[in-house]
Amino acid sequence: MRLNRVYAVILRQYFLSIHQMDRLFGVFFFPTMSLVLWGFISKYVQQIQSNYLAALLLGGIMLWIVFESIDTDIGLSFMWDVWEGNIVNSFASPLTLLEYMFGTLLVGLVKIIMTVVIIGFTAAIFYNFNITVLGFGLALFWINLVLFGWAFGIFKLSLILRFGSRLGPLTWSLPFLLMPFAAVYYPVSVLPGIFQKIAWFIPISHVFEGMRYTLATGKFDFAKFYTAMGLNIIFLFLSVMLLVWVFGAVRKNGQLVKLR
Amino acid sequence: MVKRFGDYTAVNGVSFDVKEGEILGFLGPNGAGKTTTIYCILGLIEKDGGSVKVFGKDFAKYRSEILEQVNYSSAEFTLIWNLSVWENLTVFAKLYGVSNYKTRVKELLDIFEIADLKNKLIRNLSFGQRTRASLCKAFINKPKLLLLDEPMASLDPDVVDKGIALIKRIQKEEKMSVLYTSHNMWEIEELATDVVFMNHGKIVAQGSPLELTKRVLKLETKEPSLREVFIEIARTKNAA
Repeated sequence: MRLNRVYAVILRQYFLSIHQMDRLFGVFFFPTMSLVLWGFISKYVQQIQSNYLAALLLGGIMLWIVFESIDTDIGLSFMWDVWEGNIVNSFASPLTLLEYMFGTLLVGLVKIIMTVVIIGFTAAIFYNFNITVLGFGLALFWINLVLFGWAFGIFKLSLILRFGSRLGPLTWSLPFLLMPFAAVYYPVSVLPGIFQKIAWFIPISHVFEGMRYTLATGKFDFAKFYTAMGLNIIFLFLSVMLLVWVFGAVRKNGQLVKLR
Repeated sequence: MVKRFGDYTAVNGVSFDVKEGEILGFLGPNGAGKTTTIYCILGLIEKDGGSVKVFGKDFAKYRSEILEQVNYSSAEFTLIWNLSVWENLTVFAKLYGVSNYKTRVKELLDIFEIADLKNKLIRNLSFGQRTRASLCKAFINKPKLLLLDEPMASLDPDVVDKGIALIKRIQKEEKMSVLYTSHNMWEIEELATDVVFMNHGKIVAQGSPLELTKRVLKLETKEPSLREVFIEIARTKNAA
């Protein structure tokens, strides 16, 4: 892996962000709008004397935004490359798939740090909710959210690569398919039996369960952290393997040069 | 080299060399397999049989090392639509590991006479200007092997004439090997020292433009006439 080529991928994203402000919508507009909406709901819940429930809702949306943004950014950045017809010129250069992915993931990481700062301040100023109430566990929650965001994003990218840009809308819609099982706003225990089993296999459901545990007790649930981390390592490995396999397959069937 | 898509054989036992410092014309009707061959050389499409050796090295083993010294341009793929000319060339200079890239970018912008457009987005350029920007990208790393797949398609004769003169000049100065496809036979006659004709995935004729004119058209002439050679080859099953 050559760092100059990873730098080129990052540089391209930087230049594109300057010219297309809509690319930065995902950094501040959508997260802030989600937070505003859930912030008012939480404020109402506070008024009916439930600070704990309000914290659950706000904490839930703030952690969900981290996962959703990092996951969507991977698919979206690839879709932009497809729409710009940039795939052929990029892969006709010495750039490798690993370097392309590494650069894309780094850009996503920088964007999510910006998002977290923005929504953190918004929640503190307008809703009197301090995300750091989650303590040092917050960083550990984020690690698992970012890892699953990468795994899920790479999985979606593989589908778009294999089946073409007609699957582009999956970039936005697929995370919402996970939302009920991820138990963002309610505990896994309220789900029907079979859904609870599915939820166990979704790493971020352990993150949200862990967040609720921390808010209720002030302690960090390491068992949930390790379960989420273990699942993330497996999913990340599987999604990278899928991407490598799909990349080989689209080079074999000629689909790579036809992506539009 | 062999490449199949299901039952269809797009490239069927094609074998040729591009010599150091030569411009090889790569011709054939639509669907002959030229572009597929170029994609296989670049590793964008995986071949089913045979091998690609660039600078004597196996492409499959030394992909990134080889591609640092190769470049490609096609009218089908413009540069990144929403970046300026300068930003595009900077990104590609980094991808190709060009040291002192600012000087190289400036030099190419001057050669192709688009220095005044360097801050314009690609999407705001005319077709001819975009082609010149794409050619700047193609020369950015001073490639030892340049693959040009109909780079001047759909351009007016004046722009083509200037483009050809520039390609000739840089190719001579930087002593690069070029594989050049076009449906405009005049371009090939201007540029190529040798020509490979493909049809139905196979090489059907090979030689200098003049040799091919004599052999395929069975004419005694001193002027090449690749247009007639092209038509003859495209309309007959087996050529010379």
